[in-house]
Amino acid sequence: MEKEAKTISLNFDSQVFSLIAIKKAAYRYIDSFSADISIENNEVRCLLNFTSPKSDESCARLADDFKKEVLDQDLREKLKAETEPVRNLILAHAFSKTGIVSNEPVSGD
Amino acid sequence: MSQFQAIEFYKTSKSSYRLLPFRFIPLDEERYVLTNMAGEYLVSVRDKLSDLLQHKLSNDDPTYIELRARHFLIDEDSSIAPELLSIKLRTRYDRLAEFTGLHIFVVTLRCEHSCPYCQVSRQSEDKLRYDMSPEIAIGAIDLALRSPSRNIKIEFQGGEPLLNFELIKFIVLEAKKKNQQRGKNLAFVIATNLALVSQEILKFCREHSILISTSLDGPKDLHNTNRPRPGGNSYEKTIEGIKLVREMLGRDQVSALMTTTEASLNRVKEIIDEYLAQDFNGIFLRPLSPYGFAIKTKSYRAYNAERWLDFYKEGIEYIIELNRQNINFMEYYAATVLKKMLTSEDPGYVDLMSPSGIGIGAVVYNYDGSVYASDESRMLAEMGEEKFKLGKVLENSYEQIFTSPNLLDPLEESFAYSVPMCNDCAFEPYCGADPVFHYALYKDYVGRKPESEFCSRNMETFRFLIKKMEGDRFVRQLFTKWANN
Amino acid sequence: MLKLHGNLPVLNSAAKDSYLVTVTTNANLPPVLKKNRALLMQPNQDPKGYKAILTREQGSKVFDGDSDVFLVSAEYDYLNEGDIIRLGPSSGSFNSLYRRNSPHNTILLTEQCNHYCLMCSQPPKDVDDSWLLQEAFELISLIPTDTEALGFSGGEPTLYGDRLIDLLHHTKRSLPNTAIDILSNGRAFKDLEFAKKYAAVEHPDMLIGIPIYSDDPVRHDYVVQSRGAFDDTIKGILNLKKVKQKVEIRIVIHKQTIDRLVKTCEFIARNLLFVDHIALMGLEITGFTRPNLELLWIDPYEYKDILSEAVAVLNGYGMNASVYNHQLCTVNPDVLGNYRKSISDWKNEYLEECVSCTKRGDCGGLFSSAKMYKHSKYIKAYR
Repeated sequence: MEKEAKTISLNFDSQVFSLIAIKKAAYRYIDSFSADISIENNEVRCLLNFTSPKSDESCARLADDFKKEVLDQDLREKLKAETEPVRNLILAHAFSKTGIVSNEPVSGD
Repeated sequence: MSQFQAIEFYKTSKSSYRLLPFRFIPLDEERYVLTNMAGEYLVSVRDKLSDLLQHKLSNDDPTYIELRARHFLIDEDSSIAPELLSIKLRTRYDRLAEFTGLHIFVVTLRCEHSCPYCQVSRQSEDKLRYDMSPEIAIGAIDLALRSPSRNIKIEFQGGEPLLNFELIKFIVLEAKKKNQQRGKNLAFVIATNLALVSQEILKFCREHSILISTSLDGPKDLHNTNRPRPGGNSYEKTIEGIKLVREMLGRDQVSALMTTTEASLNRVKEIIDEYLAQDFNGIFLRPLSPYGFAIKTKSYRAYNAERWLDFYKEGIEYIIELNRQNINFMEYYAATVLKKMLTSEDPGYVDLMSPSGIGIGAVVYNYDGSVYASDESRMLAEMGEEKFKLGKVLENSYEQIFTSPNLLDPLEESFAYSVPMCNDCAFEPYCGADPVFHYALYKDYVGRKPESEFCSRNMETFRFLIKKMEGDRFVRQLFTKWANN
Repeated sequence: MLKLHGNLPVLNSAAKDSYLVTVTTNANLPPVLKKNRALLMQPNQDPKGYKAILTREQGSKVFDGDSDVFLVSAEYDYLNEGDIIRLGPSSGSFNSLYRRNSPHNTILLTEQCNHYCLMCSQPPKDVDDSWLLQEAFELISLIPTDTEALGFSGGEPTLYGDRLIDLLHHTKRSLPNTAIDILSNGRAFKDLEFAKKYAAVEHPDMLIGIPIYSDDPVRHDYVVQSRGAFDDTIKGILNLKKVKQKVEIRIVIHKQTIDRLVKTCEFIARNLLFVDHIALMGLEITGFTRPNLELLWIDPYEYKDILSEAVAVLNGYGMNASVYNHQLCTVNPDVLGNYRKSISDWKNEYLEECVSCTKRGDCGGLFSSAKMYKHSKYIKAYR
């Protein structure tokens, strides 16, 4: 990991992390840094450009948080893919016209 | 007598489970908040969450048992969860069919106060062309009664609506007459500063069960600084007015709203004490919105989300302590959020609805007949931006107004479930879309959520309320009561 | 505890098979009515012409003729005008099936059950006792129409399927003004068609009481000793609500259900908000409870705070909840709004300690079985 004045470079193994996960993670941090993302030799390269003046310490911290967020986003992708079929089932059932039970409380008979 | 089996007999020995759809977001350094499809949350440490997602969690683990009971996973021992989730989801969205509930009639723009934060650009008293005409009023009533909702609330706003009390009377009587054929549950509210209230006015209110909503920003000096009027006695007039309303209409027939300004930020306890002194059962600690005079006079920029959050948290802590001492006092913003967290009901609060509450939760008929998608939409128009104007009373039909692209586009584009970052967010069930806010500040319906103060303020509020409940059984019970209010 | 079942010395038997008969203290009924009454005989009364005679003393009287005559001891002094009993002239068997003065009578329909609850107060018997159902039809025809409430229980009544529904139709016709409640594990209603048949009775005041012992399906299944019970029961409740029937959820509190009691109530509030009532019940020390006492017993005084929290959850969500089968001195004041004096009159007792208690009138007392075998060690009179 190289550190230039307020720019940090991170690499992610593209076999392990999806590009979508990395982009989504980068999106969450656009108020703190903008990211230049490129792919080279099975690696996703992220150049984090910190937007407003920050100390080296807080830049390092944000970079760490970003890495954690990439992991979280990756897990979210997998979770979404895995639960897609049952989500559609639940939604279909929720909005079907069959006499579904409402969870509304009974007004005293 | 046959043998009784041990509990292990009722548990499949091999833990193999299927995940149900859920979202997660960090709560603090160690913990995450997980929310299922019905918007129910569960707090878990990161390790357990990670094990869960990798299918490594054992069905002996207490966290596993919680997750199954709370509908985050199913297994061979129980798979009834999807059906229950469907029902809960359905209940949550049932409310959509009951639109529009709140109809705001701006009967005049005239006002004798000059509050710097005023969202409405008020015109001084003698400009009668800023009053709504009876013709427009009738047209607006017709539109309001076309709503599918069984419950219609008509709220009179201004300027100062009592300056045009004659029209209020006219509207109440006309609406009730026309409603005889419709059979809606009609309710009326006047949002007034009470400076002009009189026995005669209140007699009419009593006869027609009209509720009063007024402004009380805090103790006398704070209130009067925030709300200047000729004579400098807004507070005195308000207190007098409240007493008179209670005498003539009843103790609970008047409610108060406060506006938070820079001057309020260090004084939340005093403000709450003022509400206690005036015998109110609760307070609504509102953030400042970026509209109208608030923007012009830079009151909006005077404080940001962080400072408001400190103010808010201090207020909630204080109110919790009051309740520990058996003083029943509620905070209504928290109650609104808690209703979304702890029940399947929707509180119908416009700013925290997704799809957005504009048009669906509320609609505004301005004095000049312009129809706006919400209170904030009108304020935006006063600033020159007519993005959320839906049409004009007497010129456009109900269908034209409620299917106007100025309504449907922002509804669709801002629907949180489909918006970047919101669609992943565990807090989405508690949050709202607020396209008007985002358009006001960022010139698009969605904005970029990481930069949005609406987003950061809401997320921090949700985290705060959840953390308070996790640690403290008393708070959990108190918040459950508020959520079911 | 009232002696509702027993064996009586037979002084004369005319009939062979058992039969149902209404008790009377009136020795002067018209002959046509005497023929289907059992006379609770006083000395010097002429009991001739009654179907059955229940006498306190043998004396020197010789009983002969067409009446079945039984000797009753002081234990049967509770018997009253209008009670309905079953008498067996060959064996002397006696069963009180309906008591006129009781606010609530329950009819046992079967001892068969597809559950085997750890704390079952009516342990299942795998014998064909469908004669109980047959008898119920007759019993209901005898019960007076001003009866306010009647219960059906088992075992598991829904094991009779359509015949249970027939019984409910019959009850509605015979006793149109009587509220009925049925105890069931609810699983049969996971079949929507069965739920619809149940709904088709269109009874004006019918409630079904269904136990849910935990929000954790494994624990619930364990308590009822049946795999898959939780899912089926929930499905049954959902179907009953689909067809707009009144449902009560019952939770028996003991060591196997106390840990998740609050969470179970939260589960009910989030998922079954529409149920009409929730009953939180104290443990009865009878049936299977006694062999399983180690597993089940926890002193109610020790769980009173958890009970308060559970009740607070249900109240907080605006649900109707009641606390049954607890003594006032073992619960916190904050549940008094939900506390009911509930132990059935025939098995209700007080301890010596209770004699001087100023709140005795408001307290439900103890189960007779509790007084005999196990009760809270914190029972203390209020002064």
